Amino acid sequence: MAWFPKKMVVVPIDLSDFSLMALDVALDFVEDASHLHVIHVLREMSPMEPGVVWGEIDDTSRRIHAEEAIRTRLADPKYNGIVIHILFGNPGNQIARYAEQRAADLIVIHSHGRTGAAHLLIGSVAERVVRHAHCPVLVIRD
Amino acid sequence: MKHFRSPHSCRSACLPHPDLSRTSRTSFLAAALALALVLALFARVPADSAPEIVDDVAVALQQTADQQAPAPAGETRIQTVVNRWVEGASNAIFGVLFFDVSGGSFRSTVIDRDSRLPVLDESGNPKTATQALPLLIVVLLFGGIFFTIYYRFVNIRGFRHSIDVVRGRFDKAEDEGEVSHFRALTSALSATVGLGNIAGVAIAVSLGGPGAVFWMLVTAFFGMASKFSCCTLGQMYRQVNADGTISGGPMYYLDRGLAERGGFFKPLGKVLAIAAAIMVMGAAVGGGNLFQANQSYAIVEYVFDLKYQHASAIYGVIAALLVGAVIIGGIKRIGAATSRIVPLMAGVYILGCLVVILSHADKVPGALALIVREAFAADALYGGFIGVLVMGVRRAAFSNEAGIGSAAIAHSAARTNEPVREGIVGLLEPFIDTIVICMMTAIVVIVTGVYDIHGAEKAAIMATAHHAPEGAVLTAVAFGQVVSWFPYILAAAVVLFAYSTMISWCYYGERGWIYLFDHWGGIGLRSVILYRLFFVFCVFVGAVANLGPIIDLSDALLLSMAFPNILGMILLAPLVKKKTDDYFARLRAGKMPVVR
Repeated sequence: MAWFPKKMVVVPIDLSDFSLMALDVALDFVEDASHLHVIHVLREMSPMEPGVVWGEIDDTSRRIHAEEAIRTRLADPKYNGIVIHILFGNPGNQIARYAEQRAADLIVIHSHGRTGAAHLLIGSVAERVVRHAHCPVLVIRD
Repeated sequence: MKHFRSPHSCRSACLPHPDLSRTSRTSFLAAALALALVLALFARVPADSAPEIVDDVAVALQQTADQQAPAPAGETRIQTVVNRWVEGASNAIFGVLFFDVSGGSFRSTVIDRDSRLPVLDESGNPKTATQALPLLIVVLLFGGIFFTIYYRFVNIRGFRHSIDVVRGRFDKAEDEGEVSHFRALTSALSATVGLGNIAGVAIAVSLGGPGAVFWMLVTAFFGMASKFSCCTLGQMYRQVNADGTISGGPMYYLDRGLAERGGFFKPLGKVLAIAAAIMVMGAAVGGGNLFQANQSYAIVEYVFDLKYQHASAIYGVIAALLVGAVIIGGIKRIGAATSRIVPLMAGVYILGCLVVILSHADKVPGALALIVREAFAADALYGGFIGVLVMGVRRAAFSNEAGIGSAAIAHSAARTNEPVREGIVGLLEPFIDTIVICMMTAIVVIVTGVYDIHGAEKAAIMATAHHAPEGAVLTAVAFGQVVSWFPYILAAAVVLFAYSTMISWCYYGERGWIYLFDHWGGIGLRSVILYRLFFVFCVFVGAVANLGPIIDLSDALLLSMAFPNILGMILLAPLVKKKTDDYFARLRAGKMPVVR
């Protein structure tokens, strides 16, 4: 348990096992799982994706599907009460903005910690979050 | 880092899938190997190892291009630069993909296309030239025949069922997927039906003679089985993402399908998948972009008699902006509208063809007889038997993409839990594309006699219209013979076909990009804008360049996908066969409820 239990901790996840580890770390910071806000950011769809062309897939349907997928992954009772939010757009910006709007106390984010050229090429969501966040950010490295 | 790309969840229909985004050493090595494979394929053949790569299309079209536009202004500077680049690239790629497997054993007399007389060499004897039997053509044809036999003529026994499926009689709303069978087929057709059906066929008939049409039909028949195979595999190994969207296509089935076979097949699958991903990007740029932009401009230039020397550049900029509006600007409505009206446009085009054909109804039986007779006539004008065969196979595969694997990207989005069912839908594609639409163009071009325009007649057309009668222009000449305003309808249809094909192919290409770059920490989606920018730039290049090098480059880029795809599909064929047999057994036993 951390020194001071937080009232609201934001945890961005991408459904990889590693991102769920960050969620377990975040659990230590709160008294109740309902203080955890799990965020999943979806990117924009290609305008030529068949589902988009025929109007059968939109942000609402994607949100419903993604929420369902996350709930299935977080079926363990220890995650009961966790708040799930699906956002759209650039992950780094969306995470920082969400945390600020909700006046979060802490962001716990996983990072694959690439260095050198891979880092340059890929950029870093965690880095962007650290730069833009209004609150402390805990980066979990793999 | 790989966070926050669309996560992948794999459900019951899928196999446990290795995390694609993990930059493991294996995937890096596989990528390097695949890149080496592609580069090796695309590298120039040393001049001494392939001394006589005879390319009929390039030579013939270059001849017409040389005679064309004698105006002193000639090419603009932009055109010269573009042509030099396109030619260089096409020569390099062409050298390998079309290398002669017969070792130069087929030769035919060279005939001058204008005078129809044999060309003589310095000593006064008729000149002969090698008729290459390109490796690629052999692979495509062999693949189609193999799948037809191995799946026990699924192209015939599944035909009726495919129509029932497309009619929605087996649609189930609760199945996973994005769209219905009919919509998936329409989306795939919007990429397939394009200038290949209009300009491509005209090229086949004018350079390969009416006999090429016979071989186009034969290729399409066997191609139905290839298409069945790739669409079934596309469904079997598609990835159902957490947000309900689908990622599928040759990259996915080569990777995941061969990984399932284990052992040596796993790294091989990775290499083939990465090669397919790189090649689908090239195919999108070639057949899905350059050729479309080029031939749609050719027809607009002819029909509206554009004489301004920068007209092609202006057309290129406008077309690029319109393509960019959808793929970069994200104006979904335009993309949706164009994709949806493809069936309507195809209907209008077929109707136009029927009017032309009916006005020459007396010549139709003769034309059909000519198609069959010329297929085996070994006419030296068309490069002998091999020349005609190669032309037919090449233009058919270019038009209907059977064996190429690209269409599996669209078909994998179909809403079904029965992979074979979408494969059955897929086999309709070469039928509609080639056996129906291409055949229409072919009969139009033959009954009107425009394919055989040469000598004085050709000079007369060039003098009045300022354009060589070649490619898409031939169909406009044919349409113009019947009703004076028909070419305008044709031009409108062609522009829309080209537009829908370009944006649909951009989607295929970017799936390749996303698959590839997801290996580097899941940056596929984040970096796809780079590909889209390049694609838009190529629209401009296509409009400005000459047909000769464009058609070679487009063919090479598009058809090369057949290598990794057909190899992978043959290795995976036993799995598909098992599923197919099971599916048909259940269908026959009445275990598949018909919805309506």
